[in-house]
Amino acid sequence: MSLIGEVKFEFMRDLGAPALMRLGKAGKKRARRPADPHFGPPLKCAARLKQIMTRHYFLARYAPGARPVAWVTSGAPVELLRVLGYYTIYPENHGALCGAARMGSRLCEEAEKKGFSQDLCSYARIDLGHFFSGQTPAGRLPKPDLLFASNNICQTVLYWYKALAHYLKVPFILFDTPYNYGSINEADIDYMVAQAKEMIPTLEKVARREFNEDRFKEVLDLAKETSLTWGRVLATMKQKPAPMTIFDAFIHLAPVVSLRGLPVALAYYQLMLEELEQRVERGVGAVVNERKRLMWDNIAIWFKVREFAKIFAAHGMNFVAATYTNAWAETIHYLDSADTWRSLAKAYSLVILNNNLNHRLGLMENMIKDYAVDGLVVHSARSCKPYSVGQYDMRRILMERLNVPSVVIEADITDSRHYSEEQARTRLEAFFEALED
Amino acid sequence: MSDRRQDYLRSQKALGRHVLGVFPALYPRELAWAMNSLPVEIWDPPLAGAQAHGHLQPYICSVVRLGLELILSGQAELCDAFLFPHTCDSIQNLASVVHDYIGQERPCYFLYHPKAPVGPSARAYYLEQLKRLAGQMGDGLEPLTDERLARAVAQGQEIARLTAELYAARAEGGLATGAGEFYRVLRRGEWLWPEDHAAELGALLAAGRHAATRPRKNPGPRIILSGIVPNPPEVLTLLDELGAAVAHDDLLGCGRRLLFTPSQASDPWVALTEQYLSLPPCSTRGDSIVARRDRILELASASGAKGVIFLLVKFCEPELFDAPILAEELKTEGLAVLPLEVELNQGLSGQTATRVEAFLEMLG
Ligand code: SF4
Ligand code: SF4
Repeated sequence: MSLIGEVKFEFMRDLGAPALMRLGKAGKKRARRPADPHFGPPLKCAARLKQIMTRHYFLARYAPGARPVAWVTSGAPVELLRVLGYYTIYPENHGALCGAARMGSRLCEEAEKKGFSQDLCSYARIDLGHFFSGQTPAGRLPKPDLLFASNNICQTVLYWYKALAHYLKVPFILFDTPYNYGSINEADIDYMVAQAKEMIPTLEKVARREFNEDRFKEVLDLAKETSLTWGRVLATMKQKPAPMTIFDAFIHLAPVVSLRGLPVALAYYQLMLEELEQRVERGVGAVVNERKRLMWDNIAIWFKVREFAKIFAAHGMNFVAATYTNAWAETIHYLDSADTWRSLAKAYSLVILNNNLNHRLGLMENMIKDYAVDGLVVHSARSCKPYSVGQYDMRRILMERLNVPSVVIEADITDSRHYSEEQARTRLEAFFEALED
Repeated sequence: MSDRRQDYLRSQKALGRHVLGVFPALYPRELAWAMNSLPVEIWDPPLAGAQAHGHLQPYICSVVRLGLELILSGQAELCDAFLFPHTCDSIQNLASVVHDYIGQERPCYFLYHPKAPVGPSARAYYLEQLKRLAGQMGDGLEPLTDERLARAVAQGQEIARLTAELYAARAEGGLATGAGEFYRVLRRGEWLWPEDHAAELGALLAAGRHAATRPRKNPGPRIILSGIVPNPPEVLTLLDELGAAVAHDDLLGCGRRLLFTPSQASDPWVALTEQYLSLPPCSTRGDSIVARRDRILELASASGAKGVIFLLVKFCEPELFDAPILAEELKTEGLAVLPLEVELNQGLSGQTATRVEAFLEMLG
């Protein structure tokens, strides 16, 4: 890390970023969309979210030289990096951003030109495509000093980060989380704890700092509180009408994924929760005339979020629960600063995608009951095998047990070439009819 | 000995052995043998995926699809239990589908093996996992004794020694056996009892060496096969017809899991752990691409191979991430590369056959 880099970073953080935010606000006033009659008033906190994320990507450009930079997977125990002051970039979050900006397929094609198959996860292809072409809607991503992944969400990230490490010639650290076929045991936890401790010297070397156990405890507490508050935010959707929609949650998920363990994320969710609670008190719903309540399974179809939100809202239907957004709240209660290492292993290895499908089924059953869900939309995401394999059976079993109407949409998280408007429309029409029966 | 797998399995059951259906890829066969159980591997059964379609999306690889089809169609009835090593996301979820969702009642065992980069903790963990697996299997199969396990480890090492000898003889040009025959016999190890398989490997070695004493007319180019399994079999037939010699392989189902270094450890658990860690670099373990590239380069330089054919199973993420980088790196090092995307058991299209021919012609 250099002194000039540090000065530049701090200047941008204290002066440059706030100036940019002011400019952004001014621009925003000029371009306001007409209100959609099917939605309640938009969330006020969304403006703050935009500021936070824009600032994060803006400052990222100045991080190299001032902070150690790591590219991190969404399920990795980032708390270890926070202790050492890493600036973290989440390629999956960036992938979602590219998808929402409808740049997904274009970036995927850049990776395909280099021989990467169209059948690979599109987050990975976007990331590689960004690496090959430099294209991004986020300005510019800083080159990492380290790659940090955990296979608690999929094995794909292992192959993907291995490829990145090959191109970028930087160290790659994997936090290997044994898949929970039934129940994890002490040997699994011992293994994860030993690994986490084994990686510290490399993390320290890249960061040129020493790991501090007291700081680790503080970060764990902060991360835990952030995720718990995110959980409370989601739980407001148990109310009728729900004060927000899952499509809002998809967007507002960004801080808990990519800024977890930093005060800004916690402060944001406290603000959001306050607003939602006020809406609940006043009976303000996200969807005007909420008649039916739905659950979403799998990651969002990022290039269709807005459109889907409108279609469902126009039918008086609101998504109030999703296994995906719940993932950052579900296991975090395991974190315990009195038992740092073991609790970290538990919290990260027991997440939904590292758990057997019976666990997922049970979780969905509970959510359907707790959130008074009337119907289920299953996004079969071509990119994501761990999320998608088993969905057909899951849907069948849920229908048998709870008699919930459901529909499967074959699509992708960001690659719009794998989405058929026609097929989706036909299936949704049938689903809407079934819901009204 | 019967050539038909089902007949053979029945004869083994008549001997009092259990049959354990095993999904790809890396697992300790020795544990099953020591429990008087025959592991029968399910890589590419010759079926159509009719019933599996109702359970799996079209974007799932044919290894998973055909494996599930085998169970759904009732053709895995001879299996007393199933074992799922943690190979990739698709097998991981398939394990859960079979165990949790399709109502089949036989025991399912799971083996999580640590993923690379492998630190010291991985070694201890793998050993622990083996013991845990043995404990679970002991409930359904037959109890394990130290003596039986030691014998099974020795059997595994004998097979590994014979396999290594076959590979070495082939690489040196001292084995005149076509690729079709080589892999046919090698792959019978996926379902034969170890003594039976050892006898076949020995016979193949003797016959191949004998044939190699006769001079070969117009020997074709030497190549290496990479990918998952040597399937479709028509590729091998074509290579044999065109006179190409497969000098070595980097196939998950073959060289990448059969060519371990036999351990000298007296404790069988330690021996199995060391053997697992000694396996060639593999995408499914997350080993580095450089390590894999270096191994292929070494194999090529030792055997005089000039090109590599990648048999890439469609939708196979572990291989499809490694392949473009490997191909680029190998080309830089002067090897010719032919990536072929294949669907298992679906034959060889005219277009693919032409590409193979052109590739071999280019190698001269
Ligand atoms: S979309 Fe699925 S496969 Fe891709 S990185 Fe996320 S969890 Fe892994
Ligand atoms: S072919 Fe690839 S994706 Fe399919 S089971 Fe084998 S390793 Fe997994």
